[in-house]
Amino acid sequence: MASMDVPADRQPPAAAEKTRAAVVDAPRLTWLTLALMTTASVASLRAAPTMAVYGLACVFLYLVPAIVFLLPTALVSAELASGWNGGVYRWVSEGLSKPLGFLAVWCQFAMTIFYYPSLLAFVASTLAYIIDPSLASSGLYTAIVIMVLYWTGVWVSSRGTKALAGLSSWGLVIGTLVPGTILVVLGMVFLAQGNPSAAPMTASHLLPQWTGLASLVLIVNNFLSYSGMEMNAVHVSSLKNPAKEYPKSMFLAMALVLLIFILPALAISWVVPADQTSLTAGVMQAFDSFFAYFHIGWMTPIAAVMLISASLAGMLTWLAGPSKGLLEISRSEGYLPPFLQRLNRFGVQQNILVTQGVVTTVIALGYAFIPNVSSVYWIFSTITTQVYLIVYLLMFVAAMRLRKNQPDHPRGYRVPALNVLCTVGLLASAAAMVIGFVPPSQFGGGSVWSYVLIIGCGLGILGLLIPWAFLRFRKPDWQTEAAREEAGA
Amino acid sequence: MSPTRFASEHKWIYLGAIVVLLAFVVIGLVNYETVKKTNEATDKANQLADAAVDAGYPRPDTDTVVRALGTDGGIVCENPGGALKSALWKINVSNGAAFVGQRPVVGDTRALRAEAKIIEIYCPQKLDDFRDRLDDLDTDDTVRR
Repeated sequence: MASMDVPADRQPPAAAEKTRAAVVDAPRLTWLTLALMTTASVASLRAAPTMAVYGLACVFLYLVPAIVFLLPTALVSAELASGWNGGVYRWVSEGLSKPLGFLAVWCQFAMTIFYYPSLLAFVASTLAYIIDPSLASSGLYTAIVIMVLYWTGVWVSSRGTKALAGLSSWGLVIGTLVPGTILVVLGMVFLAQGNPSAAPMTASHLLPQWTGLASLVLIVNNFLSYSGMEMNAVHVSSLKNPAKEYPKSMFLAMALVLLIFILPALAISWVVPADQTSLTAGVMQAFDSFFAYFHIGWMTPIAAVMLISASLAGMLTWLAGPSKGLLEISRSEGYLPPFLQRLNRFGVQQNILVTQGVVTTVIALGYAFIPNVSSVYWIFSTITTQVYLIVYLLMFVAAMRLRKNQPDHPRGYRVPALNVLCTVGLLASAAAMVIGFVPPSQFGGGSVWSYVLIIGCGLGILGLLIPWAFLRFRKPDWQTEAAREEAGA
Repeated sequence: MSPTRFASEHKWIYLGAIVVLLAFVVIGLVNYETVKKTNEATDKANQLADAAVDAGYPRPDTDTVVRALGTDGGIVCENPGGALKSALWKINVSNGAAFVGQRPVVGDTRALRAEAKIIEIYCPQKLDDFRDRLDDLDTDDTVRR
């Protein structure tokens, strides 16, 4: 524990050397591994039954956001990562200012705190399906599963990038690519047998039903399906040749994400009628109905284990990415107290992870044991996505500024028509933020203005007030010796 | 992926993960119960198929419904109105995101009420609690049929 608790610049020389070496000699990742990590943080089959309800229109609901949000996010971050190491905090710091760089990475980090309990509650309910479905209603069981899985994730993340890179990329293969392929092949077999598709597949069903605001909410909110494409850029320095390899990994990740989202959802909509793909009965019920048709119901528990592994793989990437970015800017600028800047012997931001874990634990216990918390937990999904949109707004503005102010800075990849892409991405992000204030189904008949107030306050506190407080109350001695020397040099 | 990964110092972490996942696969397969086709299961499947036709859907294959729901409705009837279960499906009435981009939307009325029909037929004693949860929702017809 001793070496884990000491900042690198205050350790004995040999230990400090070792810690710095761990940071400098970042473990090597291949571009393929990074592509799989990126895909694991964005896509899984969890959403497939939800989108299968929309039938052929799910293609539209994924393709339009891909054009206006996925493409700008992926291509712009590919250019930025091919020119600057460090991820979103570095891009925004260079393009706009260091405090805004801190704001960007804070928003990317803070939103995940509220995300883990709902992700792990889903994992707990899927695990209950395997062990004993009645467990899914137990608060104690849910709390234990969330705690065990979350802290195991923290422990794995604290062992270094390589450990989680392997687990997350294999988790994607086992938990998403293999079962996704099985779903699509079985769906094609179903059609090849001469069965009519359960969901109409005519041209008129390509567009979703237009009902005004509700449809707009559905379409615009789907932009966020691709959130996180840029997150793993923080590991770009682990690539052998970041300038060339990062763009390659982004192109592969983009293709995989689109295929994973669209094809399995379509396959389910071919086989399982929409009245059996209930939005409320849960993901496993849809898979159960799918496999029941093919007389291979025993595949359902296997699919459940696969879904769990994909969810945990995604969680690992989210644990490691934003916290690493937060550490890097905090160490160079002294934005966080020294305690949070400490590294363990693997060069990992263990104290940030543990502090985040304590907060997550409290929230998760509230979710598991207090019905009033769990019943309104969906509100956090809106608040956290609103907070995340701040990252994208800053990223697109920073990209345009960097192209203008540092046109000759070497970049391994230059995206064509960057300003057009950034403007499209910026408008899409702004639209998603505005739509985030429209009450969804879960708010029932409540007052629109009270909903706007709740979301606005959440966004203000989590996304603006807390990072402002860190910047306002930071102390000069929070900046490490090493960072001061670097700044001086 | 690096061919040397499994030779790394983290090999035992990977092995541990594989063992745990395989253990859950075995538990899942052992616990998996094949639903037997009984007269009661067939009657209930026919009722559900009739309800689907009445609602304007194509008639589902009743054998498939029997295998998925049996006589007791399977997981659909596991405390459908409970706080944690409701919390989960409320979070899942969302866009198409699988991770952090997940955000609630205005759900489709019929898709949200589909489960109520299953509960009505397979476990009617649990319908009231579930309906209470559903009645709190503000929905719209967002699925083209």
